[in-house]
Amino acid sequence: MADSKPARAAVAAIKLGAVGAAGVAAATIYLDNGSAIARAEPASPVATQSSPTLTPAVENVFRNGQAGFVVTDIAYALGPDGKAACPKGMTAGVRGLIEAYAKTPAGQRREDEPQRNYERRLGLTVHTAPDGQNLCMFPAAGGADPGWRMVHGRNLKVEGIDLDGAGTSKKAAGATCGHEEFQGLNGERGVDNQFYRVVGCTTGFQPTGQANGFQVEMHTGSWGILMTLKGVDDPRNDPEVEVGFFANSDPIQLSAARAPLSHATYATESNPRYRATTRGRIVDGVLTSDPVDVRFHNVVNSMNDDRELRSARVRMTFTPDGGLEGILAGYTPVESMYDLQFGARRSKTAKGELAPERLRLGTSMGRAGALGYSCHGAYHAMLQAADGHKDPATGRCTSISTQYRIRLAPAFVVEGASQSAKSALVTG
Amino acid sequence: MAFIKFNGAFLRRAGLGACLAMAAGIGWANQSETTPSAPLAEPETPGGPLVMRRLTESQYRATIADVFAPDVPVTGRFERALREDGLIAVATSHGSMSAFSVEQYDVSARSIAAAITGEERRAQFVPCQPEAETKFDKACATKFVEQYGTRLFRRPLAAQERDRFVAVAKAAQQKLGGFYKGLEYALIGMLDSPQFLLRMDHAEPDPSRPGSIRLDGWSKATRLSYFLTNSTPDAELLRAAASGELHTHEGLSRQVDRLLASPRVAVAVRAFFWDMLQFDGFNDLFKDPTIYPGYTVAAAADAEEQTLRTVVSHLVREDGDYRALFTTKKTWVSRPLGILYRMPVATRNGWEQAEYPADSARSGILTDVSMLALHSHPGRSSPTLRGKSMREIFLCQKVPDPPANVNFSIVQDAVNRPGSTARMRLAEHNDNPVCAGCHKLTDPLGLTLENFDGSGGFRAKENGVSMDLSGALDGKEFEGPQGLGQALHDNPGVPACLVEKMYRSAVGREIASPEEPVLEYLLGRFQSARFRVPQLMRAIALSNSFYAVKEQPDTTPQRTVAVAKEGERS
Repeated sequence: MADSKPARAAVAAIKLGAVGAAGVAAATIYLDNGSAIARAEPASPVATQSSPTLTPAVENVFRNGQAGFVVTDIAYALGPDGKAACPKGMTAGVRGLIEAYAKTPAGQRREDEPQRNYERRLGLTVHTAPDGQNLCMFPAAGGADPGWRMVHGRNLKVEGIDLDGAGTSKKAAGATCGHEEFQGLNGERGVDNQFYRVVGCTTGFQPTGQANGFQVEMHTGSWGILMTLKGVDDPRNDPEVEVGFFANSDPIQLSAARAPLSHATYATESNPRYRATTRGRIVDGVLTSDPVDVRFHNVVNSMNDDRELRSARVRMTFTPDGGLEGILAGYTPVESMYDLQFGARRSKTAKGELAPERLRLGTSMGRAGALGYSCHGAYHAMLQAADGHKDPATGRCTSISTQYRIRLAPAFVVEGASQSAKSALVTG
Repeated sequence: MAFIKFNGAFLRRAGLGACLAMAAGIGWANQSETTPSAPLAEPETPGGPLVMRRLTESQYRATIADVFAPDVPVTGRFERALREDGLIAVATSHGSMSAFSVEQYDVSARSIAAAITGEERRAQFVPCQPEAETKFDKACATKFVEQYGTRLFRRPLAAQERDRFVAVAKAAQQKLGGFYKGLEYALIGMLDSPQFLLRMDHAEPDPSRPGSIRLDGWSKATRLSYFLTNSTPDAELLRAAASGELHTHEGLSRQVDRLLASPRVAVAVRAFFWDMLQFDGFNDLFKDPTIYPGYTVAAAADAEEQTLRTVVSHLVREDGDYRALFTTKKTWVSRPLGILYRMPVATRNGWEQAEYPADSARSGILTDVSMLALHSHPGRSSPTLRGKSMREIFLCQKVPDPPANVNFSIVQDAVNRPGSTARMRLAEHNDNPVCAGCHKLTDPLGLTLENFDGSGGFRAKENGVSMDLSGALDGKEFEGPQGLGQALHDNPGVPACLVEKMYRSAVGREIASPEEPVLEYLLGRFQSARFRVPQLMRAIALSNSFYAVKEQPDTTPQRTVAVAKEGERS
């Protein structure tokens, strides 16, 4: 499930009508209120009659037109690695700033200055704005990082979906700030993935980079995402279905090998900030949804942030085991993305209080060094690349298109009366 | 109402001979035979020998909880229980106590005694206060020893016993310098004593039958209490024992009905079925996590609990028909189990009652994950183990172990034989007539459960192939797990086996041939009570046979064959 190669093979299997490797008939039943439900293990597979052919597991995942899922894998959908996408080289990051500063007179090692103190001084200097503020906490106080490299190139093939409609409509494109767009993996036009454009030349954000492993905390049970489908008359083709996105208030269930388990029960978080529903449709086995603002939890270093996605939508297909895989995409407010992924300015403790400054500073500065960027460089690069939610007052976009590659396993999603342990984090 | 005849001759027909007979085409005994009348009057029986029975782990823990408090720590480990002829309860009267076990009993005794006499809780447990901690208070020590000695030994202490433990208290105080330290060591001595660890039958002359003996009141109370509550006699039962009430039918009935009305009977039913269902096997159960990722440690623990909850709720709380355990759709589920059953479980931490869906292949405890996983291999199901367990657990039939030189390669090699099912592989394996005899007993039952994998999870196919789930029991053919459950429900050997096992568990020994009429009598009572287990327990507890003892050692050939070892895998 975690391996993308079998996943792609599985998708092909669906389209070809092959039975999945699991070959297990499973019926998932979605509960609205934890009420009694029906079939769990049908005695025999359900026959399929129309194209595309789905596995029995997919057929059986629906009960009364409803099904639940838990996200088991989530990562930024990023394009080709730096070798292909960054002809001008990689972002120099903190290390580049230090090297540049060290060449200046002020950056020279002072007489009798111990090496350790010298290195510390260099590090603090490049993280400090001219006005003395820490650049990770106050990135606007610094200018753009001259060593920052963006992904360039209209012809790069990048996973994702067309968010602004520019691929098919020039009128729609006028609603966003101008930006280059990528090609989809199958050559489709207009893929909006400006976050990849910003971080694609940064070492930590390569497709297998450390920064793209944030799901680790999801697998420890710190946060999770649930999805529901309702009103599905035919999982192959249905012009109108309801798609729900929820924060998971239960830890994800794993096997002894730490692989996510299918058919576990999870309760949705009851706080409306972490719940969203929208309309969707299934065409030839491909599920897409209308834009809706969603918000999930994220935990790093025991600090909590929200993972926001405005105008979010999905494009997914069913996997042979009755799950889903595809793209979750939308626009992340630049300020929110900066806090989430770079700056930790407003990260909270589990009690909902602002996390200790030392922890926030250490985390933001530490990961900048480890992942190969500078805080203020990331901030200004995102502002430069922002392509969504134009502020009428300034004419500048405030959010950045973000695409996630996700996989979901069939699950039972219930409306739990229990409140999430993270309820204390909610302030709004 | 037709009456099921308890066919002892059938039950004696065990072992390889039975398998070979089957292989030769001889049908199993006429379990379905019925007779028109039920023997509702208890026959005379010679009784059994006086026995000493070691407390099981659950009895030890329950006893400590009842005598002191549920939160008193029992820190020692318990030796692996010996199972004999299908029951640990029977083996409690056999076997020796290892040095390890004695050591661990002492570990527990020390933890218990330290908690009881420690500064934090001594006011709760010590019934008196010494004049001074540094001075030995004989009266207080005597009161302490008498109070707990009576509860732990399940009878009043003889003066000599009492004085010995008081002397221990005094000696310990002198050496360790505190009155409560003295009490602590006196209590350790009592907890380490065989009089506590072993339930010893004591007999006295029977005034109603000169020249004969009977259990004394304390032994009767002990036998009754552990049978109906799986714990030590309570104060009321000890009072009845002291007054001689247990030797009268009215007095005994009063106590039996009192205990059966208490919630403790559920504990006893649970303990009996844990033993009968061989759930000690979970201690050794392992499943390959690669093959069965959903079979987690939590799921395994909950699987055991699920079946016991189902048994107790059906038999005790709902006063249900024992046979319906094989067909009921009602069950209990937890979140870890919901993954294996593919059922939603709204309750986040804990249990909720549920029903297997009407169109599910599951019904009855035979389709619980516990039974399916326990009698499977680590990486695959086993129709043979499942069939064998059903024969042995629910029909009291002994299926012998496979010969040492049998070749299992055909059966086990599922990986390299795509498209094969267990039925196909077993058919090839059974070309060997030595194997075929026993497999004809086991496989027709176990193959009907093949749509459940080795972890108890549902599967529609094996190796990509649809499975033939047909089976047969004693000439009755059926299809699939629900057919199997119904076949067991309808099989007269099933309640007869329960009667036999529960009686043997109650008396803690094998049964001699002359006692078979008692089983027939109890089976009649069970049937008259529409197979209600508490009513069967009442019939046993009120029967003369339950308490009957004879002075001379029993030289009658045992009617059941001891099983050398359980838990083999074939």
